[in-house]
Amino acid sequence: MADAAQSGGGGTRAAGPRTAPRHGGAPFARLFGATTGPVGLISALVVLILVFSVLNPRFASVENLQNVLFQVSVPLILVVGATLVIQMGSIDLSVEGIMGAAGMAWILLSPNTRLAIDLGVWAWAVGLGVGLGLGLLTGLIYAKLKVPSFVVSLGTWYVGLGIAILLYGNSSLPSLTSDALERWPTALTLGLPNSFWLAVAVLAAGVLISNHTRFGRGLMAIGNNEPIARGSGMPVDLYKVAAFAIAGLLCGLAGILATMQLGSGSTDIGFGQLFIVIPAAVIGGTALSGGEGGMMRSTLGVFLLIILNNGLVLAGVDPDYQSGVFGLLLLVAIIAVAWPGRDRLKVAK
Amino acid sequence: MTDVPPVLKLTEISRTFGKIKAVDSVSLEIRKGEVIGLTGENGAGKTTLLKILSGIERPDEGRMEINGQVANFRRPTDALKAGIGIVHQEQSLFTNLTVAENIEHQNIDRSGLGRFGIQNWGRINRSAQEVLDKIGVRLDPRARVGDLSFVDRQMVEIARAVSVDPDMAGTPLVILDEPTAVLEQAEVDVLEREIRKLREFASVIFVSHRLDEVLRICDRVLVMRHGALTSDRSTEGVTKDELFRAMVDETPRLSKRDRAAPPQPGPAAIAVSGLTREGKYRDVSFSVRPGEIVALVGTNGSGRGSLARTLFGAETSDSGTIEVAGTRVGGWTIPRAVAAGLAYVPAERKVEGMIGGYPGTRNIALAHPEAARSGPFLRHAKMARIAQDWFDRLGVSPNDIRQPLGQFSGGNQQKVVLAKWLNNPDLKVLILDHPLRGLDVGVSQAVNREIRAACDTGTAVVLIPDTIEEALEMADEILVLKDGEVTARHDMRTADGLAVQEIVAEMI
Amino acid sequence: MTDRADPSARAAAPAPEDRAGRLPGGLRRAASWHVLAPPLVFFAILLVVSVANPAYLGPFGVSIATASAAPILLVALGQAMVLNIGSIDLSNAAIALFGTILFALTIPATGLAAIVIVLAVVTLIGAFNGAVLAYTQVPSFALTLGTFGILQTASLVLSGSETIYVSENRELVTALYATRAFGIPLTFWIGVAAAIAYWTMLRFTVAGQNMTAVGKNESGAIFSAVPIRRVKIAVFALSGFTSGLAVLAIVAQAGSASASGLGSALLLPGIAAALVGGTSISGGQANPINVIFGALTVAFVPIAAQALGFGAQAQSLVYGFFIIVVVTLTTTRARGIVIK
Repeated sequence: MADAAQSGGGGTRAAGPRTAPRHGGAPFARLFGATTGPVGLISALVVLILVFSVLNPRFASVENLQNVLFQVSVPLILVVGATLVIQMGSIDLSVEGIMGAAGMAWILLSPNTRLAIDLGVWAWAVGLGVGLGLGLLTGLIYAKLKVPSFVVSLGTWYVGLGIAILLYGNSSLPSLTSDALERWPTALTLGLPNSFWLAVAVLAAGVLISNHTRFGRGLMAIGNNEPIARGSGMPVDLYKVAAFAIAGLLCGLAGILATMQLGSGSTDIGFGQLFIVIPAAVIGGTALSGGEGGMMRSTLGVFLLIILNNGLVLAGVDPDYQSGVFGLLLLVAIIAVAWPGRDRLKVAK
Repeated sequence: MTDVPPVLKLTEISRTFGKIKAVDSVSLEIRKGEVIGLTGENGAGKTTLLKILSGIERPDEGRMEINGQVANFRRPTDALKAGIGIVHQEQSLFTNLTVAENIEHQNIDRSGLGRFGIQNWGRINRSAQEVLDKIGVRLDPRARVGDLSFVDRQMVEIARAVSVDPDMAGTPLVILDEPTAVLEQAEVDVLEREIRKLREFASVIFVSHRLDEVLRICDRVLVMRHGALTSDRSTEGVTKDELFRAMVDETPRLSKRDRAAPPQPGPAAIAVSGLTREGKYRDVSFSVRPGEIVALVGTNGSGRGSLARTLFGAETSDSGTIEVAGTRVGGWTIPRAVAAGLAYVPAERKVEGMIGGYPGTRNIALAHPEAARSGPFLRHAKMARIAQDWFDRLGVSPNDIRQPLGQFSGGNQQKVVLAKWLNNPDLKVLILDHPLRGLDVGVSQAVNREIRAACDTGTAVVLIPDTIEEALEMADEILVLKDGEVTARHDMRTADGLAVQEIVAEMI
Repeated sequence: MTDRADPSARAAAPAPEDRAGRLPGGLRRAASWHVLAPPLVFFAILLVVSVANPAYLGPFGVSIATASAAPILLVALGQAMVLNIGSIDLSNAAIALFGTILFALTIPATGLAAIVIVLAVVTLIGAFNGAVLAYTQVPSFALTLGTFGILQTASLVLSGSETIYVSENRELVTALYATRAFGIPLTFWIGVAAAIAYWTMLRFTVAGQNMTAVGKNESGAIFSAVPIRRVKIAVFALSGFTSGLAVLAIVAQAGSASASGLGSALLLPGIAAALVGGTSISGGQANPINVIFGALTVAFVPIAAQALGFGAQAQSLVYGFFIIVVVTLTTTRARGIVIK
């Protein structure tokens, strides 16, 4: 979504002096990368947990918590990449397509019922390479050919899906034959599922990149004001390509993990993930216009949505209501953010 | 004097845009520790000169030397590396990053503040703290810039400007572009203290309209007019009156307006009473009769732009009333204002004044489609006829009503913007915000001619002029605004021999 | 406290204007390329198919292709109208899906009145989107993603997650699919009629002129007294209404409705068809007639892939490359513009 109006001389920007600094809860705020600490989000999470625990005692059981962490892993990995991209004001729609391509490539090269090839570690390399390659493709076309990221990533979504479908072909469903691989995601290490540990590792790397590298801070700067970033000599195009490449890589990883969790290959292994990841980022406070939010906030968003879903199911609510609840939450969140900033001259796209 | 080269030396620098010489053979020298005031009317060329100094524009001619080295800036970063830091009126900070990051942003790669792309927060914060201490500003380097007050953000910009490579041999030059225009008095005091502190290790160019401040703060004051330097004097012993004379053309004392505009009977076309918008303007009252031109003069911080937008329904007021043709209006919005016969030519022509992707035909038909409309439909032939009439009458060039307006020059765009509003036979009030901005003399005359013609048919005009001369030439009444309040009124039909200098003095 | 209208800092920067003024020819050529590309792309595909495997272009092939293009075309038309004002409607396919279920449930009892009911309901849903956008000024992407989710649940709940077969009054609607003119089902002709209507509206009416103005420069439109809120509500209502027409096409073809049936995957093909039809994602550029070619192209890609021996499986891959290539070719890039 090209935003030409933004650079047009600040027709709608409030330029007046602002009064004294607001004080957020300091250490908390630092971790979450913004001054208005995510107090609301955390309290919402706590309230949800309390309510669901009362409604169904099984909610607070160890097994269910492990189950929640298991479910959280895939969207958590995805949201790290998505947050990088959204922070710079772009959008990556290709999530589900890349997941399909990478997951399918991975399972066909791992011990499976279809092909006798087992490349071991190289299967991972190929799967992740597919993700990285598609991410690079998106980033290059976006940054170098100046095609809006929405459109490019819509294209790579299809391309990824196409690759998955071609790999799947007409023959039988590929299922994992390695017990070790199949059990790995659910197996517990220190009481928590391996899937979740993987996601935590990715998240840690994401936090490091986002808060402690030139690149991560540069993405925030681009999202805040791209012309100034360019003017100050920042390698904006390089950063854009890199952000999409990382997002692609993580989609690949998520695709592999989801395939492992399922135990068999599926072209639409990523189905519905985009509708978790983007609302999670937005609810967490990562504005689609860029420059706001952070990894930890998006993480909270993911937890909020997954716990909400899990709790509702345990409370006996039909799973059909999931997307409706997510949608409603998204609406409430964006309206709450936009309400104070309404102005008759504001341009709302 | 000594063999220390000047911090900045310009020799016959010029920059031309089209037919306009924005900077005309400017030569100057600034020595270490000097604080220079730069002043002049809007459009005198100050901004272009600053853009040349900050690497945004390149001069067509002339030589620039920084600390004795010839400088040839290709991009803004070159200027920063050479030690020139600009504090813009529109701040160029990343509001979502911390104070320290904004200050050290340029330096992280080259000065051990980070390695392998990892930011060493501890060092960045310490380094920023050192800069802040050096300039004597108490701010937490870890605070988010977006949470700071305006003046604090200016301090961050100043800190960034002087945070250049510590190994650099020369003296940094800090340019403050109208830093006080939007500040409260207490904040101005903070800034003045800051500038005095800066001169211990840097040179400063202080751009301002406010002569009191310039005389108080600066060692030397430069005045620009029509792109050229017209005065370069020590602030010792110079009077404001002398500076005014350097700022404005030598005009004879103006006598009564030659255009006879008998006040027409009936209610005022537009009248405001006690109008207030917090932080913009306070308790403003005036009225404009049909056929009358009222000019609002004032500096950047005077609130006149906001006032004009309130009349048009683009901004709201906190208290006071607006009456249009004798009727008090409520729930005032742009569509209502336009339906009541108001029109507004904004200063931001490209963004607010027109649809660049639309041709002249559609731009003209946009605000008042009535003339070319039958039911829900537009009559294209009629639209084309109307547009062609206006293009011919105003001499729009190229004379192509189908070419997207964005491809025209600024002057021709302005003619079409004017045509969009003049195309309304029931035009009651025409509000013009810097109608001549960026236009050459010929186009300016054409635009002024149309404004007068509209007046003669009974339109009331509220004019925000670029220059005082423009106000004196056009207006029946001049309202002087200062810091949001009306400080003087001049009825040009009775005021004999009012001089530009007098008005300037009331503004500042 | 800034006198925002007085930024002498930005006075007189006529340089870029002069540059633009010198190149009108080049820009005009770009504009005409915009208009010509969609039909050219479609006819190029058609040519490839007719050379490689003319059997696919027989009367049966045409009827199949246009039938499958009909819902895509309708959804894409609504999307193009929304994209034209610079927004996006991610909920329009979900609106269509919800509509099919509502339609299948109401038509047995109400007959033809069901058409009116469904069109009214979906138009209102669209208008709701527009009103929230206009009054809260949230980004349309997030807003319609939210309504998308809500409508998905509404569809599932309303249908009880089951397929609803239309039995009574079935012929009222299936006639739209069964009746053909020039070998093309009426459902597609509805799309063509809508496209012509929208094209006429954009080109020849005040409302259309206002819509495109909002898309080209919303600030400029605001200051020209364009009723921004009304425009946004109307356009989103129109998107809902057009999704309602897609409802008719879908139920006519399938004879049934379900939350996972025909119509559940229309969002992306709809956007793709709008884009391949030359609609600009950043607003201010839409030609509904060309969206017909966009929808035909999107519907024809799988057929072309098959005719060329790629098999239906290559369809998504080809789609993906197609979207990227066509949009890359038709995107206008101005200097200094920020592309997100």
